Amino acid sequence: MAKDISRRNFLRGGLAAAAGVAASPIILPTAAQAASGRELCTLLDLSKCIGCEECVSACREQWQPTVPDPVSPMPRPFPAKVPVQDWSGRKDVSDRLTPYNFLYVEHLDVPHKGQEIELHVPRRCMHCLNPPCADLCPFGAGRVENNGVVHIDPEVCLGGAKCKTVCPWKIPQRQSGVGIYLDIMPELAGNGVMFKCHRCLPLVEKGQQPRCVEVCPEQVQSIGPREQILAQAEALARAKATEDGASPDKWQDYVYGLTENGGTTTIYVSPMPFAAVAAAIEQNHAASAQPGRGRAARAKQGGRKKKRGFGGRPPMGPVEDVMAKADNLSLALVLAPVAGLAAGFTRLFGKKFKADDGDSKGEAA
Amino acid sequence: MSKHDYSPGGRVAVWLYGIAIGLALFSGFGQMPLYNRYYLTSVPGLGWSGNFIALSELHYFAAALFMGLVAWRLALDTRAGGTWSWGPRSWWGWSLIALLVLSGGAKALRNAGVFLPPLALMLLDFVHLGSAMAFMFSGLVSLFRPRKKQYLRGGLA
Repeated sequence: MAKDISRRNFLRGGLAAAAGVAASPIILPTAAQAASGRELCTLLDLSKCIGCEECVSACREQWQPTVPDPVSPMPRPFPAKVPVQDWSGRKDVSDRLTPYNFLYVEHLDVPHKGQEIELHVPRRCMHCLNPPCADLCPFGAGRVENNGVVHIDPEVCLGGAKCKTVCPWKIPQRQSGVGIYLDIMPELAGNGVMFKCHRCLPLVEKGQQPRCVEVCPEQVQSIGPREQILAQAEALARAKATEDGASPDKWQDYVYGLTENGGTTTIYVSPMPFAAVAAAIEQNHAASAQPGRGRAARAKQGGRKKKRGFGGRPPMGPVEDVMAKADNLSLALVLAPVAGLAAGFTRLFGKKFKADDGDSKGEAA
Repeated sequence: MSKHDYSPGGRVAVWLYGIAIGLALFSGFGQMPLYNRYYLTSVPGLGWSGNFIALSELHYFAAALFMGLVAWRLALDTRAGGTWSWGPRSWWGWSLIALLVLSGGAKALRNAGVFLPPLALMLLDFVHLGSAMAFMFSGLVSLFRPRKKQYLRGGLA
């Protein structure tokens, strides 16, 4: 697989080298983590998935008890337009992402080459390589571990939902009435805690597999070092493209998560191009939207409320790299002080000022 | 006029310095999800302030401008010395700038994809936020405190 030398990779390497020179043993570039095999990645072969939802049950059984119930009565946030989001009475919901449900399965009939093909797509956090949810969290609650897991610390999160706003798939889900914001200014700032898949971080840290990987009767998912998983994904996608009557060179059309949002550690391989899968998901969501209910429905009906999320059911279309511009601007952060120093040492613009009293130092500068 | 009151770059530099600080503070505090909650995004012309990505890019721009100016002043300082009419006048101000630059630089590293231990990153977040607030309040005190007339010339005010 050809590797792109993107500006991100260039910056990553350069900045990481600078960090290394600064003799900080705790800083390692993401690329180095991947090379050392410590960054883990999952591969989902969708042609194997039978939609039994064993993964969903195992995930819920393991992690739902870790999500607390809200206080009662729940604080009323100020101003009144701030929504209180309480899923504690709907813990049984398993057909979308909620604070109490980190994984669901999208059941689809995908029109492809004149046929309707049944496809089941487990959906959860993609665990991006450079996740905007963690990068842009103002309090450090959003975190990236060196094993590639992206998670939210419920002890620190204030529930502002910024992570959801900047996530291209709107994955994190808020539960109001829980978390540290209750101890600060519950009416004026914060609104709960954001919850999402952490790929069973406590288990993975003990050397165990994520529950969804472990319990799957069809071995839909595999987990391993990213480079190894990418090689597997490419081989599998080439085979799927060939079976589908396409050129093996079109293998990337059968892969999702490889380049989306700059790359993720969740790679899907489908028996048909993902454009068809994305269209089927969109159609599925449109069909299941109940008229007159929910923000999305109101937006569709021309109401004043705008659609902010995907109703806990993320799409699967192309996604641009949210943090790409930050990469470019990082270069400005390096160049600006260098230019400033160069201008200062060469007295650029410095001769245009002088001390009002004619002080020699001022004139020299 | 004090013989130490210099103004490199004249009014342009003073204004650029003030604009850089203002933009950095606005875009920095906007990283907390408060502008939409408290209707700032409803103010005509400020709808964009609810866009966290745009705010982040503005923060980068402001930080680059700020660091460029401070670096320029530092370099000129080594040639000319003296106390200047813009920028910090004490070790306190310089210390806060150093904290801001170091913690912000580390955050920029993370945003470029460099791995930083999560707890270190959280500490950096709070150092950046705390030093920014201290810088803002110090600047406001410095700007509005009663002072001798000559110090008003060429300063931020």
